[in-house]
Amino acid sequence: MLVVGAGVAGTAAALAAARAGAQVSVLDGGTGASTLTTGAIDANLWPRAPTRPAPIAAATHDTLRSLGGYTLPDAGARLLTQSGMVRPARGHDDALIDIKPFASVRVGVVRCERPGWDADALARAWGEGFEPLDALVMRYADERMLPDPDFAMRHDDEARLGWLAERLRDALARTGHGIRAVVLPSCLGVEYPRAQTLSERVGVRCGEAIASPGGPSGLRFERARDRALADAGIERVQARATGVDRKGNVWRVATDSTADRFLEADAVVLATGGLIGGGIDYSPAESIFASALPPFARRPFRLTVDAPAVLGAHGAPLELPSTLFGSPPESVVWPGLDDSLMDCVGVLADADGRTESGLFAAGDLRADRPRAWLDVLATGAAAGAAAAKTALNASAATQVPAEGPPIRP
Amino acid sequence: MPADLPISVLPPPLAMAVAQEPLPSSSVDVAIIGGGINGSGVARDLSLRGLSVALFERNDLAFGASGNSSGMIHGGVRYLSRSPQVTESSCRDSGYIQRIAPHLLFRIPFLMPIRQSARGRIALELIDAYFRAYDDYQPLKRGEPHCRLDASDMARLEPGLVGPVVGGITFDEWGVDGARLCVLNALDAVSHGARMHLHTTVDAVERIVGSDAKSGRYSMVARDRLTGEQVRVRAQVVVNATGAWSPVTAALGGLPQARVRVRPGKGVHVVLDRRLTNYGILSEAIDGRQIFLEPWQNMSVLGTTDDDYYGDLDDVRATSEEVRYLVQGVAHVFPSVRTARAIGTWAGVRATLYAYGPNEDALSREHEIVDHAADGAPGIYSMIGGKLASYRLFAQELSDRVAGRDFDVQVPCATHVRPLPGGDGIPNALELAEKYCITPVAARRLVYRHGTIALRILERTARRPRERDVTCPCEPVLEAEVRHAISEEMARTVEDVSRRTRLGLGACGGMRCAMRCGQILAEETGLLPRRGQALAGEFLVRQAKTRMVALGPEQARQEALALAHLRASVGEL
Repeated sequence: MLVVGAGVAGTAAALAAARAGAQVSVLDGGTGASTLTTGAIDANLWPRAPTRPAPIAAATHDTLRSLGGYTLPDAGARLLTQSGMVRPARGHDDALIDIKPFASVRVGVVRCERPGWDADALARAWGEGFEPLDALVMRYADERMLPDPDFAMRHDDEARLGWLAERLRDALARTGHGIRAVVLPSCLGVEYPRAQTLSERVGVRCGEAIASPGGPSGLRFERARDRALADAGIERVQARATGVDRKGNVWRVATDSTADRFLEADAVVLATGGLIGGGIDYSPAESIFASALPPFARRPFRLTVDAPAVLGAHGAPLELPSTLFGSPPESVVWPGLDDSLMDCVGVLADADGRTESGLFAAGDLRADRPRAWLDVLATGAAAGAAAAKTALNASAATQVPAEGPPIRP
Repeated sequence: MPADLPISVLPPPLAMAVAQEPLPSSSVDVAIIGGGINGSGVARDLSLRGLSVALFERNDLAFGASGNSSGMIHGGVRYLSRSPQVTESSCRDSGYIQRIAPHLLFRIPFLMPIRQSARGRIALELIDAYFRAYDDYQPLKRGEPHCRLDASDMARLEPGLVGPVVGGITFDEWGVDGARLCVLNALDAVSHGARMHLHTTVDAVERIVGSDAKSGRYSMVARDRLTGEQVRVRAQVVVNATGAWSPVTAALGGLPQARVRVRPGKGVHVVLDRRLTNYGILSEAIDGRQIFLEPWQNMSVLGTTDDDYYGDLDDVRATSEEVRYLVQGVAHVFPSVRTARAIGTWAGVRATLYAYGPNEDALSREHEIVDHAADGAPGIYSMIGGKLASYRLFAQELSDRVAGRDFDVQVPCATHVRPLPGGDGIPNALELAEKYCITPVAARRLVYRHGTIALRILERTARRPRERDVTCPCEPVLEAEVRHAISEEMARTVEDVSRRTRLGLGACGGMRCAMRCGQILAEETGLLPRRGQALAGEFLVRQAKTRMVALGPEQARQEALALAHLRASVGEL
């Protein structure tokens, strides 16, 4: 089987399918929304009304275990954001600090001249117990302006991490021993989250606050994915899918790669992401055409991969708007808030992600699903498992006549 | 702001002060209601003449039409045939503004293509002659004379133009950041003793009779909309400079609304993310109205509509229909606006002089002072109409009348010769960039907005090097400038900071800077951090609403990202 997309959903699907015994390839079209993850694992997203916390699927635990570097505490976590919030989450990238266990103790916020990091303001915003901590974090002059991921990468180096641990130990020694945890800007490794190692060396829990999208958390996911896919023996093809169609019982995926122009599979999982990832495009009629009046009406969203799947929202397919100029954008996007079309649009599919044509969809590409990590993991694993079943049945079916005696009338 | 935005779950503004004890009270010569360009212009003029002034603004300086204009102080070329004296005074005043705030003005050369048609050649001759007459006034504002171009000249100057043209002409106008112009006037007034009550709405204007009246004929009660605190101010003279709000304000003082009737005309602009061209380009909309595309600061702006407005003046927003009307009209001659990335809209309501009958474009843009002595309220004046280009003249006319008639003060007007704050020179941005270790772009933008005061802002970074950080990467805006806007320029909300610095008005719509700005705001003004976050949330939602109507494919993805970013900040509930 073939998984189109190598983000969180695609990875979950591929790993689930491999566990089910299918032979899996992943088509990796490059950076998508998962690279922009901030490392917080949520079940629901603002401003959707919170639902009762559902038990986390076993497959989700399996996926995160394969990835490594993620934690889902039973009681949930409380994470710090660089915009000054303390926010709940179901789990997190291990580089982030969960301050739930440090509710009534002193927590140091490292003073560090990184853009957007103002320890004094953050300590004040995060509230009681937080205090700025003077410690040397930057070693070289260029680090003041270095982007977060590049800065984080420097701490993949053992010696450098050791240097940081010493500086933090010095700082803690200077301030006495009341501080039980230390919050740092996004800097703790890219290959692996280094918070655990650093904490052991410093002697108190150390971790990052959540940064903007585009920080090291996204890269840490990519590295973890690469390792997990390799460990599971899953082939990864670097190409972008352009179209998916079915010839009889075989699915054919066209790509933009000259080496792998067409790939064939018994089942295909589409995990190309939503609006951010690039799986879905907002395509109003008016801006496409040079004439003042577009020649025909069109739906405001389209799939970027040409596939026999139906885009919809609120359980129904998208309709043509009653205007040649495209739906009024006010009706499409936030802040119409929690049920805006932009937020709900996606491929219509059943609980396993199976579309009417038998193609599978997962993650952000699905209609009417919260775009939260846990949900993406769950829909990915479900689609992967269901697709694997289809693929295994198909190959079993094709193998029977080959092995059995020829049937003559 | 939607009620369920959790970052609005904040300590409410202080409970409204209960008027049991006497309100803090003071007395001034002149109270001005309205912090647009007219109100702040008058505040500056009267303060310079030595009168004590208090100004009340319900929202923020330049919240209405002043901050949402086309961003030009043009010479009024369209009035040339009917009333050349208006053109002359507009040009002269444009020259004065250039003298008092040279850093804030930038040249916008316009191209006016003339389409090929049966009368195309004649039209070109006529327009050429018309602009030859306008050339006489150009020296008043240091403008360049017009040029007549043939079709190949046009194509060479701006290859993006399409359609058969017989030729065209160029003419020269000045662009300005209207909000900054307004803020600079207010700041100069403050430095001459004026008091600014921003986010403060006047609840009542009462006449005082008898011997009490010596300390002021009028008593006003105003309420701070952010804190709920009330103040009482007594004044001899009250100036109503509330633009489209004028009739509402007049009703407060019990004055007949019909006397200050305006015809509110909504004007909408679409903001594109970069300079698509270095020329302003005139075009005709589908109904024959003249509209334009102009390079404005680091963006392009499409404008403008003019439609009668019946909605809420505190919440004026562009609609997608207006956006489509403008895009379609300009795409007619400059098609690349169709695929350009729209990152926002401006919407404001002009307060044109009232007339029933003429269509919006035919309404007079002149201004008028209404003396309410005739309504039994001596010392109350309303400023009706006017335009950004001639605000100084309008302010001078009113101040001459008030100073001379109500106070017998004979100090001459000085607003045309005294520089506005920072207007006494233009520092070299590249040198500043090197000296203070900031990027040349940041230095250039800082100098544009602040003139010589840029030096003072950068001096902050010598004391606190971290203030060199770029808070808003799109514009860019340095942290030092954000702090300066809060401590020295009376910004009290994230939106106020944005109006003064253009923070959050770039392609990311504040995604990367609003929360940080809220943090700084809370720190500088001693608010609770949660309150700072809430102000940032309000800004983000308001900006999102203004952008939505111009949504294109690229911006749609950006909006989804901005929402994801907000979600990463807020978390699950």
